[in-house]
Amino acid sequence: MTDHPPFRRVLVANRGEIAVRVMRGLRELGIESVAIHSDVDARCAHVLAADHAVALGGNTATESYLDQQKVLAAAKATGAEAIHPGYGFLSENSAFARAVREAGLVFIGPNPEAMDRLGGKKAAREEAIAAGVPVIPGTEKDLSDDELIAVAKKIGMPVMVKASAGGGGRGMRRVEREQDLAEAIAAGRREAKDSFGDERMIVERAVFPARHIEIQIIADKHGNAVSLHERECSVQRRHQKVLEEAPSAVVSEELRKRMGEAAVSLCKRVGYDNAGTCEFLLDDAGNFYFLEVNTRLQVEHPVTELVTGVDLVHLQLAVAAGGNLTELLKGKDLTPRGHAIEARICAESPEAGYIPAAGLLELVREAEGPGIRVDSGVYTGWQVPPFYDSMLAKLIVWAPDRATACDRLSQALRDTVYLGIPTNVDFLRRIVDDQAFRTAQISTDMLSQRPELAKGPGDAPSDEVLAAAVLCQALGRSGGGGGGAAAGASAGSSGNAVWQEFEGFRLFEGVGGAR
Amino acid sequence: MKVTREFERDGDKVAVRAEHVAGDRWRVRVGDHVLEFDARALPDGGVRLAPVAVDGSIGKATVCYGAGSAQRYMVRTAGRTHTLTAPASRRGGGGGGSDGTVRAPMTGTVLDVLCQVGDTVTADQTLVVVSAMKMEHKLAAGIDGVVQSVSVQKNTTVDQGQALVVVEKAAAE
Repeated sequence: MTDHPPFRRVLVANRGEIAVRVMRGLRELGIESVAIHSDVDARCAHVLAADHAVALGGNTATESYLDQQKVLAAAKATGAEAIHPGYGFLSENSAFARAVREAGLVFIGPNPEAMDRLGGKKAAREEAIAAGVPVIPGTEKDLSDDELIAVAKKIGMPVMVKASAGGGGRGMRRVEREQDLAEAIAAGRREAKDSFGDERMIVERAVFPARHIEIQIIADKHGNAVSLHERECSVQRRHQKVLEEAPSAVVSEELRKRMGEAAVSLCKRVGYDNAGTCEFLLDDAGNFYFLEVNTRLQVEHPVTELVTGVDLVHLQLAVAAGGNLTELLKGKDLTPRGHAIEARICAESPEAGYIPAAGLLELVREAEGPGIRVDSGVYTGWQVPPFYDSMLAKLIVWAPDRATACDRLSQALRDTVYLGIPTNVDFLRRIVDDQAFRTAQISTDMLSQRPELAKGPGDAPSDEVLAAAVLCQALGRSGGGGGGAAAGASAGSSGNAVWQEFEGFRLFEGVGGAR
Repeated sequence: MKVTREFERDGDKVAVRAEHVAGDRWRVRVGDHVLEFDARALPDGGVRLAPVAVDGSIGKATVCYGAGSAQRYMVRTAGRTHTLTAPASRRGGGGGGSDGTVRAPMTGTVLDVLCQVGDTVTADQTLVVVSAMKMEHKLAAGIDGVVQSVSVQKNTTVDQGQALVVVEKAAAE
């Protein structure tokens, strides 16, 4: 992509899969990578993948990955010229982006001024209106309860009553009937005050049923902004995406063009640079409404990479170093090709109310094969810490068409093994195999409408499963390295504390031809 | 070579006994049900299993993976993960055990302890708040009673299944 690397050494201010993915991109460009890590993450996959590593100390995110001074000091100490923030943590923190710039380093993300203009939901909505981007009809300013009710009646029920400072669904309510408005606004104000210290509320038309469609943007420091088209992320749970795909089955070429132009005009208006995503809701009638801009690389960026053929991390580095997109994308056909789907693999039990889990991954075997990409941050023997996000890895497939991509993802999930702690792998497979998903009849409330997808069949294990379990114990082994133990012991006993604690189950290793 | 395990299934104890016949052939008794397999360990930690029918014909093979302890064993077969437990062990599990012991549902940090020894509490009263993976979990005892012991403090790390608070049923009036 470039004749010479845009940087010599880059610090990746993140952990797990995204840090590994960014480092892979750095290595491809001949750039050295610097990892940072908390105490429990000293042997996390991203530390093992990096050329250099700096211990930040502490375990919670606040003590480590969110500590701006520690991150900047690590960059200075290792001679990194730039910082890639990944997603989450400091990635959308404009104060950090400013601090990086003031330290004489390059922040691989948008300029802090553009981040500020798109940061708050309300500010972003105002910018969108000014850029001519359609927004959900509703209030824009601080209104009294009576005024909010009047607006709600005018735009028509159902409406969403939301905290103006909101996020993560708190202070947000869907109201079906006019007579419930007053109570919903009062409850929303209380919740918003507790959560954000700000009791201002807004009212919007409830777009329902809706699909979540987002546009990937890449922009440079020379005023160029390019749409890399849509991703559909309609399969969500409480605003957390579960499956993402590109292109969307319901976005026509004409709609893609209009949504892309809307996103580009908003980015150009605020002087945006680097990678960003404009999120929209799409209703049944094909109307799209602006939601927000994510001013960073997204978790689901791989599906865009697979259908457009661009490497977003490479592009981020190039434009951060001052590269011009006219040159960088010259001769490239960005028309989406084929179909890509991503499944987020998380340490949680959808069957038990999505309760997250931490602990030892005793056996990891990730899918492989044609059209399969795994962006992983874990390995056999890794102790998943309780301090951070529960996402372990992302399984992404590409195929010439959506039906084949669904088949491929289903089989790849079947071949995926994470044992030791609960994961959502079986849940993901139930969704992918569901008729509604196969026919792309998806919407943002699919999972809340279909609780059986999370619950699972709940059947007792068959005799064949119990037999397989005992034969695995007799013949199999888990964990890497290490010696076996004596065979033949009959169990039901409380067992051996050593293999309970670490490295999985290793009794009976070496029996029956196992090595 | 024989391996015997006991599992709990639908509340019943099921004994599973695997016996090596010859070569790759294994005979497995699940209760009274006798199954035969050709079983071969794979270098990636899996086991390739092919069922052998009564007439000796060999069925479609699957690759299974297993890990865990005798108390809690996870096996992945035919694209599904099953967590099997030994009959004696009911360790860990949900926050509010109906036996009155409040256990940590997962490894995490104690955000708050909302009871003291001697407190009279209700079944659904929040006694401990644990944070893990960016989520808060409010834990209750599941029975009405009196707090007998509190073995955690605020801001400490707890392991999955660790007993945090013990509540004993109040004496009948």
